Parts: sequence; C-alpha cells; structure tokens
Amino acid sequence: MNETLTRLRYRYWPDHMLGEILSKRWTETAIPVMVLIAVAFGLNQAIDGFLSPASLTAASRQAGEIGFIVLGMALVMIVGGIDLSVGSSFALTNFCALFLIHVLKWPVAAAIPVTLLFGALLGAINGILIGYLRLRAFITTLITLIVYRSIYDLLILQYSNAIAGYLPDSEAWNFIGDGDILGVPLIVLVYAAVAIFGHVFLTRLRAGWHITAIGGSRRSAYNSGIAVRRTVAMCYVACGVLTAVAGIFFAARLSTTGSDIGLGLEVTVLTAAVLGGISLGGGKGSVAKALVGTLIVLFITNGLVSLSAPGGINRMVLAGILILAAVVDIRWLKNRHRIISKVYVSPTYHALPPCPSTAPDSDTAFAQNDKLRNVDAIGLGRIEAPEDVILDRHDNLYAGSRHGDIIRFFPPDYERMEVYAHIGGQPLGMAFDRQDNLYVCIGGMGLYRITPERKVEKATDETNRSWRSVNDDSRLRLADDLDIADDGRIFFSEATVRYEMDEWPVESVEARGNGRIICYDPNTNSTHTAVSGLKFPNGICIASDGRSILFAETFGCTVKRYWFDGPKKGQVEMVMDNLPGYPDNINLASDGNYWLAMVGMRCPALDLAWRMPGFRRRMAKRLPVDEWLFANINTGCVIKFNEKGEVLESLWDLGGKNHPMITSMREHKGHLYLGGILNNRIGRYKLADADPGYVQYDKRWGKAS
Amino acid sequence: MIAVLKDLTDRFFGRGDAAITVPPFDGALKPNQLLEQAAVVCELEAPEDLATDGAAVFVADGRRILRLDAGGPVEVAALDAAITALACLPGGGFAVALDGRSVRLVGGAHDGRAWDAANGRAFSAVNALSAAPGGGLLATDGSQTRPYAQWSHDLMELGRSGRLVALSPADGGAREIATGLAYAFGACAAGDGAWVSETWRHRLVRYNGGRSGSAVVDRLPAYPSRLTPAAGGGYWLTAFTARTQLIEFILREPAYRKRMMAEIDPRHWVAPSLSASSSFMEPMQGAHIKTMGILKPWAPPRSYGLVIRLTPEGLVRYSLHSRVDGTHHGVVAAVECGGALSVLSKGRGRILRLDVAEIERSLQA
Repeated sequence: MNETLTRLRYRYWPDHMLGEILSKRWTETAIPVMVLIAVAFGLNQAIDGFLSPASLTAASRQAGEIGFIVLGMALVMIVGGIDLSVGSSFALTNFCALFLIHVLKWPVAAAIPVTLLFGALLGAINGILIGYLRLRAFITTLITLIVYRSIYDLLILQYSNAIAGYLPDSEAWNFIGDGDILGVPLIVLVYAAVAIFGHVFLTRLRAGWHITAIGGSRRSAYNSGIAVRRTVAMCYVACGVLTAVAGIFFAARLSTTGSDIGLGLEVTVLTAAVLGGISLGGGKGSVAKALVGTLIVLFITNGLVSLSAPGGINRMVLAGILILAAVVDIRWLKNRHRIISKVYVSPTYHALPPCPSTAPDSDTAFAQNDKLRNVDAIGLGRIEAPEDVILDRHDNLYAGSRHGDIIRFFPPDYERMEVYAHIGGQPLGMAFDRQDNLYVCIGGMGLYRITPERKVEKATDETNRSWRSVNDDSRLRLADDLDIADDGRIFFSEATVRYEMDEWPVESVEARGNGRIICYDPNTNSTHTAVSGLKFPNGICIASDGRSILFAETFGCTVKRYWFDGPKKGQVEMVMDNLPGYPDNINLASDGNYWLAMVGMRCPALDLAWRMPGFRRRMAKRLPVDEWLFANINTGCVIKFNEKGEVLESLWDLGGKNHPMITSMREHKGHLYLGGILNNRIGRYKLADADPGYVQYDKRWGKAS
Repeated sequence: MIAVLKDLTDRFFGRGDAAITVPPFDGALKPNQLLEQAAVVCELEAPEDLATDGAAVFVADGRRILRLDAGGPVEVAALDAAITALACLPGGGFAVALDGRSVRLVGGAHDGRAWDAANGRAFSAVNALSAAPGGGLLATDGSQTRPYAQWSHDLMELGRSGRLVALSPADGGAREIATGLAYAFGACAAGDGAWVSETWRHRLVRYNGGRSGSAVVDRLPAYPSRLTPAAGGGYWLTAFTARTQLIEFILREPAYRKRMMAEIDPRHWVAPSLSASSSFMEPMQGAHIKTMGILKPWAPPRSYGLVIRLTPEGLVRYSLHSRVDGTHHGVVAAVECGGALSVLSKGRGRILRLDVAEIERSLQA
C-alpha cells in the first residue's frame, strides 16, 4: 500500500525538474517576476482600480522616470560599482532642463542635448574618480551626492522664482511631459526603445560583454585585455545620461524645482535594482531584471500612497525590502551551486522482481564460472578505458582510450599498437559501415566517423529538442553505442540527458528513464530522437530481420527490441527482463545469436534502495559521491542469448581479478575480445566451437573475408 | 519542546546527531600497511580469540584451544561448544566463553567453575574475557538481545544492551559493573578500575567503581574491540572494522534498515563486515569502482584491519593497518608476548605476527 503510493508519487511528480529549473539562468529573473505578480495581485485586491488603465498610465510616467535611472544604476552595478549620486544628479539635470527652457528660453531641441551632456558631465566626474583614479565607488558617489545636492540647493535659491514665473509655450515640451502615441505615454515608448537597445547591448554587443566581464572578475577582465578603466568610467557616464533623460521627462511633466526633488531617490533605485535581481557584487544583471525591479518598487510605493501611508512608512518599507533583497541576493549567490547540487539528483521509484540466482550450483545458464579468469590481456597497462573493441577484416583490433584516441593493435600478437585517430573525447561504441567508415560514439561529443583514410569527421552532435524537457536536450551528452541499418541509418543510444559522461554511475542512484535512442541518417544528414525515457540505454545491435534493433537498458536490467521499419514500426517490445546484472553492449555472435556484456551485477542492497527513492535522495544529499551506494560494477560477465530472449551460456571472471568490468565484447575468428571502460587491458578469450572465419562486419555487409 | 525542535531541524539540515561525519584516520591513526605486510603464522578455520600467559600465545579456534609453537599450532584443550572468548588465568589454566552463553574455567585452581548469568540475567554474547589483578575476571557481554554471531543485527537495531561483568573465580560471584552499553566488546583492568570498549559508540570507557563511566578514547574512526596490556605500559586495542559515512547514514534510516533486515541476507547488508568483499552481492560504494584494475586503498572501508597502540593514559601512540585493498581485515585480538605482537585477523582466518621493536622503529614512534 505504502509502496503503491510511493510508486504513484514518483511516477507523476516530476522531481527532477526542480534541479533543472534552478540551474537555468532565467530562474534569477523568474523569482522577481513572481514577486511582481504577487505584489500586483495583492494590491489590486486591496485597492480599487489599482490596475485600471488610467491608473496604469499615470503610474507608467513615473515608472519611466525611475526606470531610466534604474537602468543607469543597473549598468553601474553590473560593472561592479554603485552610484549613490543618482538622486542629486536627477535634481540637477531637472534643474538644468528647466533653467535652459524657462530662464534662458532656449528651444527644446537645443535644451535637451545640452541637458544630456550635462548629465554625462555629472556622470563623468564619478567615472573619472572611480574608473581612472580608482576611488571607492561607494564613498565617491556618496560625496558627489552631497556636492551635487548642495549645488542644487544653491541654484534653486537663486532661480526657483524665475523658473516658476515663466511658462514656456512649446508644443514639443508639453508633448514630452504628457503626450502619448496611440494611448501609450511617450516616455514609455522611449523607455521601451532604450530598454531593447540596452538588452541587445548587454547580451549581444562586445561592450556589453566587457561590462559583465569586468563585474564578474575585474582582474581577469584586465588580464584578457579589456580596457577596464575606460569601460568603468563610461558606465558612470551612461548612468549620468540616463539620469538626465529621466530629469528631462520629469521637468517637462511637472516643471518644478522643489527642494525635495530626488531626495532619497537612490534608495528607491537601489531597491528596484537589487529586487530585480541585479547583484550587488557585480557581473550579474539584465534589462529585464531592472524593469521588473522598477515595477515592483513602483507598485509598492504607489500602493502605499493610495493607502495613504505617511512618507516615513513608505521609505521604511523600501529600506526594509532593500535589506531583505540584499540578504537574499548574497545568500543566493553564495549558495546557488550548493543548493542545485543538493536537489539536482532526484532518484525515482524503480522496482525489479527478485533477482534470479547466479550461484555456481544454481543450474541455470547464469551459473557463475571462472572461464574468463585466464584470458589473454592485450595492451596491459598501455591502453586505458577501452569501452568497446572492434576488428576489421585484416584482423586489426581497434579500441578507444580515455585520452581521446582510437588505438589500433596489429595482429597476430597484438603487441604493436598505434594511435589510429585522435578525436579528443572518450570513444565508446564502434561500428563499421558498408564503406568501411568507422563510426564511433564519443561521450560528451556525439557521433563521429573515421574514414578509411583516417580522417575524423563529425556525423552529428545534436538532435531535436524535446518540448517536455527543461534541460536543453538537443546536444548529445553521452552517445554510447550504435549499430547501422541496411539503408545506412545509424541508431545509437544516448545513456542520459541529465549527466555528463564521468557522472554516469550517478544514473544508477537516480534510476530514472533519462536516456534515449537516436537515429542519424547519413543520406540526409539529419538526426532525430527515436525512443526516449529509457533507463540508461546502452548496447545496440541490428536484429536479424534488419528492421529492428535490440537494445539494452543498463539500469532497467532489460533488453528490448525496437522496430524502425516494417509493420511493427515504432513499437518497443521486451526481449529479456529482470536480468541479474546490468546489460551493456550487444554484438552478433557467429552462430546467429547475440553476445551481451554485463557491466556489473545486481546486489540486493541497491535493489532495495531502488524501491526507496526518499532514502536515495537523502543519501545523495548527505553523502559525498564516493560514499554513495552504487550499482556493483566490479564484477561482470558475458552472456549469449538468442532472439527469443533465452540465455544460452555465460562467461565469468569471479571477483573481477582479471576483468573487473566488461562493457563490450566482439567475436572475431574464433576469439572473443573483451573491453571494459575502467580497465587497462583488452581481454582475448578462445571460443571452443565458434566459426574460425567469422568477421562481424564482413558478414553483416555480405562481403567475403 | 526545544529539544524536539532541535532534533527536527538537525534532521532536516543533517547537523548534530543527524550528522554523519566520521573522523579521519589522521595523526597517530595515519594509515600504513604494516598489518597487511605482517608475517602470517598460520591460517585457521574459525579463530576467535588470542590469549597469552607470558610464555606462549594461545588461540581459540572453534572448539579447541591451540598453543602457537614454533613448529605450528598444538592443541591443548578441546571443549564441547564453540569458544567465543579466551583468557589465561594468572595461576595457570584458561577462562573460556562458550557460545557466548556461559563462562567456564578450564584448568587452574578453580577448574570447572562456570557462570551463565550475572545479576540474574543470562549471558547472551560473552565476547571477551580478561584477567584482573587480585584473581578476578572481567567479561563483556556484547548484547542482551542478540547472540554472539549476530553482532551486526545488534548494530542495525542500535543495540544498547551490552554490559561489563566482574567474575570472581574464588567464590563464583558475578557482578555487573556497567550495563546499557552500546555493545561491549573487550575489557581490561587498568589502575583500580576497568576500561571497556563500547563499540557502537566508538569509544573506550573507564569505570572506577561507580555506575557511570567516563570516556578514555572517544570518537574513534573505527569500531573498537578487545583490549590487552602492552609490555611497555599501555594497551593494544583492536578495531574489527572502520566506520563509513554510508553506514552512519544507514543507522539514521530506520525504514531502510528495517526492510534490509527483513528482506536481505545478512551477508549482503549495508553493514560493517569482518572480511574483505568477495561477492558482487555485497553493496558497493562509489569509490569502490576498480579503476585500471585497482581498488583504491582509501575507499570507504566496509571491512578493515586495525590495531591501535594506546599509552597508559589512553592516548593513541601509533596504529597498524590493513587497508581496503588488503585482506587482513576483521582484527579482533592482539596480544604481546616476548616482544612479538600476535594479531588475529578473523576476517581472513589468519594469525599474524609482528616484531614490536621493528614496528616502532619503522614508525619512529
């Protein structure tokens, strides 16, 4: 009963998605967006007409003004600084615009550029002090905040009456203040244009990348040749200009020079930026985050004003939010990877029937023996990690190595070896096609082809992206084994879409169907996913009918058949289930049956743990990987089975003395060659009554050997 | 209330009692391969314990007591049940524990005297005997609920029923010194009291007359067992296996433990073991994967061989190891006699011998 609930819960609740979502970079924007929606919804419930179009239009003008300043602040924060003087700069640029138009009676077209220049000048002072003279951003902008504010106070003392006493009669100026196009306030349109440019700038342009790089690591940025000082200074200049834009719109809207303009604005702006998810530590931030932060802050302040909260409360709330957001920002940045690594591994329920006996006296085809104890070792200590082995018609032996090479051993004694081709990733399964191209699955890279001229070519490294996956599963992470159909189509397995190749045993803890079988068609050079949701699909072999493949699911402990052609096209059928071990590569035997490598054997402790996902989840959280209960892959065996799924015989090396792990085997001219991904040798076992002339791919392609 | 909350938060965060950290083999416990490389004296079928009278070393092997002579083991006595503990009496003769359920004197002044209970409670798993000054005898009864052979059941049930018992050969008295121990396995007279290995709490506890003891050696990275005096002062402490984080974790997972005990053969449990892995049915941990044909010696030890030399104050002076890639595991007894240390690796069924002076020279201890 209890176990049924566990099974249903793990079947229908996608645990694995939490870790995948958290490892997406967009979660850092998604959380502020959710806060924004919650705030908007909550205030709309509390205040009548809070989200009505009229109210939104009014709010959007204010939002635009603050939004420009937040953009400037965001830029400065991303580059690793801070600008506290934005409030005073805002007041000064507001004054500048009003002074030019109201007192000097300049035309708008002249006043705007000059005000922008003035803003740039104010920013440049910060920029030079911080960027070139290397002063601390916090203290410098604190000082300029006071200085700018004092200048502003002195100026309005002298000119506020003159400004208030004149009303400019300019259509353009009024349009800037309260005009709209198709009902959308002008400021919103300008903001949208600037924001889109800002987004492109930050994510697509060189200068934007430089800014992020400097914020991420100033020293590394400097070492890689970025003009750190100039870029930092320019960010402050840009911040000044954006503040001036806000000042112009504000001046046009209200035409006022009150002494409290821009007072405390830096706190609002900073709160917006941090709340949006722009990190105080620098290097992280985006335009979308700035926008979301602005809206949250604006909704809250407007909401509080509508609820007629006094100004003091208003600012206190903002300061409180700022502290909270800063704490979350710092804790999140520090712990993000830890949290992800804790929640990423998400084991699921995986029940297998009781394991069939393999005891030496069990009188089954699986009965343990020591036939493989004394196999010859080829390349002992000279080859590392030959996952698969293959032989050509000239008896040359090929095997992958963990150095990213295909190694070739020469007959008859296989003492001499050479690097046949260098690929760079760990070679796994291998197969020859009709033209003697050697196709190889490369862990972490994809499917590669080595021509008879020893030229390495990429066949494919991506497939179609599936809609239901959070992780981008279009790239191949762990192409594992392959075989080639009569028409040249290549079917290969990808063991997992959630882990990298070196993490493959983690899959034994997770036991979820994370793998798939992919088809690559060299005729059209196209790739598509054929079957997905498989539990570590591994070995693949074309069945005798030429229309289906046999494939092994390592941690499913099954061998299944998939039809890619014919009347049963698209169907999957069980061939062998409840195997006593973890099946790996499948290859043809000379008598028409199939060889199957067992990479490891089942152990009762893990079988039980597979039924208890919560136990494994806690284990993954609490224990280092070295201590995890893993599938036992220190002892393996080779079995021979027929197409009906009957096991005919088994070959063992008990205790794993000579061949701790067998991931592959290949029959060739009366011998069985054994590969193992963590071995430092290739085994060679004399088969008693096998066809002495058997060459697998010559027989496969109908060529005489 | 606060304790309950603390317990809950500890379990959520894996802190406090829920932490599964294991102290490292460090300092005087730094691993070496001395035990693995030690000379093999003989291989026996079912060796259980060692004892010495100062002149010769005796082994309890199944139902027999053997004397280790230069030419090989010689049988000196045969009993009617399996011997689970052996001690030499000062005046000659032996004390033996039979099947863990009774203690009997063989030879000596009180030949034939036997005990099968203390304080009215029957013995269940007597696993160590040690002669005390004044003619007394110390015995440890590992568990009240499980027989001697089922020590791993006791661990998996978080057994807390071990006791230290003082036996008096002169008048046949039996008195409990300490009860409620988390598996008592090995004791030794020290000063005017006794030290006892409290195995599941990974410590040595000193009892000086009172009912409550104090820890002499605490937070061992291994499961301590029998304790014998060393010639130069101090003690030899054996540890029959080392701790792993996985087993500490399992001990905090009641649901898994319960099902494991119900459904799986004890040989294949996620539990400490006396002998090195021999079957793929045994659980394998991440670091146990053989890479390039090699099992890493620093992998988590499901079985381990360890002898610890303690000073008279209970500080660790040095230690002898057989690491995960070795086989001299499950060391349950070590006695020093004539400058040589005899070590019993129960996991391998072997008696090993090391020269103490040579050990100390090689360790520069």
